[in-house]
Amino acid sequence: MTEQILAALAQLGIKTYLISETDKESLECFFVKKRLDLKRSTDTKEVEVTVYRAFEKDGKDMLGSSIVQIHPGQGKEEILDVLAGAYRAAALVSNPYYELPSGRKEEPVPANGRFAADGLAESMKNVCQELFAADHRTDVFLNSAEVFLRRHKTHILNSSGVDVRYETYDVWGEYVVQCVEPQDVETYHQFKYRDLEAGDLQKRVEEAFETTLARARASKAPKAGVYTVLLSGDQVKTLFDYYLSRASTNMVYQKYSNYEVGCQVQGGQVEGDLLTIRLKAKDPYSPEGIPMKDRTLLEEGVLKTLHGGARFAYYLGVEPTGKYRCISVPVGSTPLEEMKSKPYLHLVSFSDFQMDDFTGHFGGEIRLGFLYDGETVTPVTGGSVSGSILDVQDRLTFSKERYHSADYDGPFAVRIEGLRVAGEA
Amino acid sequence: MKVQESDFIRQKKPLLTRLLNRLLEEFPYASILAVDSKARLYSASRRNISVSEDDLLTMRGFVAKVSDGSHYAEYSFNEVSEEKLEEICRKVHDLAALSSSILPQGLEEQEYPVPTEDPTVFEGSTEYEVDPEEMGDDAVLEHLKALRDKGLSLSDQILDVYAFCTYQKYTKLFLSREKDLLQNVMWTNGTVSLMASRGEEIKDYYKSYSCLGGMELLSQMEAGVADGVGMVLKLLESEPMVPGEYECICDPEVTGMIVHEAFGHGVEMDMFVKDRALAPSYMDKYVASELVTMHDGACAAKESATYFFDDEGTMAHDTVVIEKGVLKNGISDLQSAMVLHTAPTGNGRRESYRRKAYTRMTNTFFEGGTDDVEEMIASVSYGFLLENPSSGMEDPKNWGIQCMVNIAREIKDGKLTGKIFSPIVLTGYVPDLLKSISMMSPNVQLGGGGYCGKGHKEWVKVSDGGPYLKARIRLG
Repeated sequence: MTEQILAALAQLGIKTYLISETDKESLECFFVKKRLDLKRSTDTKEVEVTVYRAFEKDGKDMLGSSIVQIHPGQGKEEILDVLAGAYRAAALVSNPYYELPSGRKEEPVPANGRFAADGLAESMKNVCQELFAADHRTDVFLNSAEVFLRRHKTHILNSSGVDVRYETYDVWGEYVVQCVEPQDVETYHQFKYRDLEAGDLQKRVEEAFETTLARARASKAPKAGVYTVLLSGDQVKTLFDYYLSRASTNMVYQKYSNYEVGCQVQGGQVEGDLLTIRLKAKDPYSPEGIPMKDRTLLEEGVLKTLHGGARFAYYLGVEPTGKYRCISVPVGSTPLEEMKSKPYLHLVSFSDFQMDDFTGHFGGEIRLGFLYDGETVTPVTGGSVSGSILDVQDRLTFSKERYHSADYDGPFAVRIEGLRVAGEA
Repeated sequence: MKVQESDFIRQKKPLLTRLLNRLLEEFPYASILAVDSKARLYSASRRNISVSEDDLLTMRGFVAKVSDGSHYAEYSFNEVSEEKLEEICRKVHDLAALSSSILPQGLEEQEYPVPTEDPTVFEGSTEYEVDPEEMGDDAVLEHLKALRDKGLSLSDQILDVYAFCTYQKYTKLFLSREKDLLQNVMWTNGTVSLMASRGEEIKDYYKSYSCLGGMELLSQMEAGVADGVGMVLKLLESEPMVPGEYECICDPEVTGMIVHEAFGHGVEMDMFVKDRALAPSYMDKYVASELVTMHDGACAAKESATYFFDDEGTMAHDTVVIEKGVLKNGISDLQSAMVLHTAPTGNGRRESYRRKAYTRMTNTFFEGGTDDVEEMIASVSYGFLLENPSSGMEDPKNWGIQCMVNIAREIKDGKLTGKIFSPIVLTGYVPDLLKSISMMSPNVQLGGGGYCGKGHKEWVKVSDGGPYLKARIRLG
């Protein structure tokens, strides 16, 4: 199919382009309790072509672009028609000129690990085994689960010599844990792995069982007021994603972020822990074919790099890195036990904990928390917490304990003082 | 004018019919869903222009669903030709037989009957006034640039104006032993989002627009720019909400989010099958104020989520979910209806041909009441007028609600004070909130600018709305 597209681009005189062709296979299982409700597989070829067009406007060099899909089975005339349409559209896109990443034909990067060795069907059996291994209790159990195992073979090439191929496997999914006594409740969980980490999914399900048992004992919202809050697990990653987003070339170029390399992102006088964030490369190449590697985003609160694709990096005069979503953060020096030595509200689970990258406001409805009033620990549910990272970032405390997920490796918990909670009157 | 059928689907139909017949030789039930969808995105902001296909909504592909008499399997693919028919049939056969090799000990496969079908032949198209393709990319983009420029010209304090428009035009063909259904649908959405900065903090305000139709939508978008500039500048002076429970007036957009998140998700009947919803135990009981009547249905309104049949070949419905405060019906996909021994309601929807069908909402709304909006505001001693919702999350099991709202206008002694609080987290127990509804305005407005997820994925186009309503709500 690539040859057909290249021939059509040549026929149309389109000299600047990016082609991304991905063969996608998946095997998917949907469970209700311990029964397989539906099995699915997918087998698709997805081809995206970005057509670029250089032109002058008001004496300035411009480079417009437009993205189109080419579908399997499309004939020569239809492909010509679609690409010609994209070329016309690119002439309307009066963005300043920039250069595409350059490269050469590289050796394909094969997938490694057990998924690649075992294939989709055998891997599915192994994942399901892990998922259901702990599901033998009567007081708490898996209500339902979905498992998606995927193999992607990606080929990226552009008109500046980039010609790279790589293969990836991953599994992702979700499971719901239910507990019916003393009240009928559920908790929702997600998982994602690039390779099967023996025992990890089973351990997470066991932890989810304990969380759900605690949720079943929680019946009241905390009283409205101001609390020292502990956020933990995936919420910590959501909190740190603010810095990842603000440090993207897209945000900086459009002046939605005032970050510049060398700035102290946590403000002038930081009384709490200083934040160091490493960017972790998960795929060998970005969607534009830029080689991805691990980098330092923040060192002790100081911005070390901006990350993003070719266009905005060119405008800002920085190295194009590709866009990152996976981070690692060194743990802090405060043990969780010490964090819990004074009154706190530890918020474990939310309906949907959100961080607004523009305003810095974060918050969500509390599904499960533990309130320590100095004497007893009480599970709570309901109400909401809200705050602004800009107000608290100079006084964060990171736990010594570590947490890791597919896109995060870092402190398990963050202590934030003075957060408002909406709860019981 | 009516949306035209895709040439691609018309050309492939004989081949797909042969594929269906070939599958029916082996399986007691087989169906094929074919989709040809074209969607384009246009945007203009201060430093960025874009005209491209929407890669999530632009697709051509197929789903073959089969039952061996007791178990279901689905195969999604996007290459079909005479030469590939046997390979597709073999892959469907292999998948249907796969269970024993992927299920660990202790797990088994759910048994289902084969669905019964009434013979149905249908062809339908929605209508539009302005064809995006005839209008041309340049004219659409010029319109958006004009909106952007107008917004930027109104105040030096405006950091950026992002004017955005998208449309989706699709043809879907559903074939089974008894059904031959074809629909051609087009919807268009637009947004004007305005940003202003207060130090590091960037406040934003958006106005969204939607229609079942084409680029006739663009003419509606200009009116909101000046208001939007005014609102985002006011947001710069906003204060954080003092947590508490307040008398609130919700505008139709916030009402829509409450309808959708508070109750819509709670009556998705695939959640009944999983024992993940409280609603089954409240059937024929009061769950809301007697003022509340709630609908969901692809043919209940003409908006972005309107269609003629769902992705499992069930014709669209208008389901009355709550009637005068009493829970009457849920909404369902085909497979859930089989388990629950109910009739499917035309709510089996897929994010794309690549994904499974789940029970999903369509156009979801409260009917209007009889109260005047000004009288509603005058009735509040201290509270807020809530506007500009941004997102929400469902909790069908425990009937919790979370909605994020951008603007709360303070009301004191029945009058708007001009003071604004932002952002707001709206939470509560759904029946408490719905039973507290004490006033509703007559006019119902629906908005179809958003997408709905199932949990954290499976995004489908929905619309929601209703009238202004007064209720007691916890804000944080």
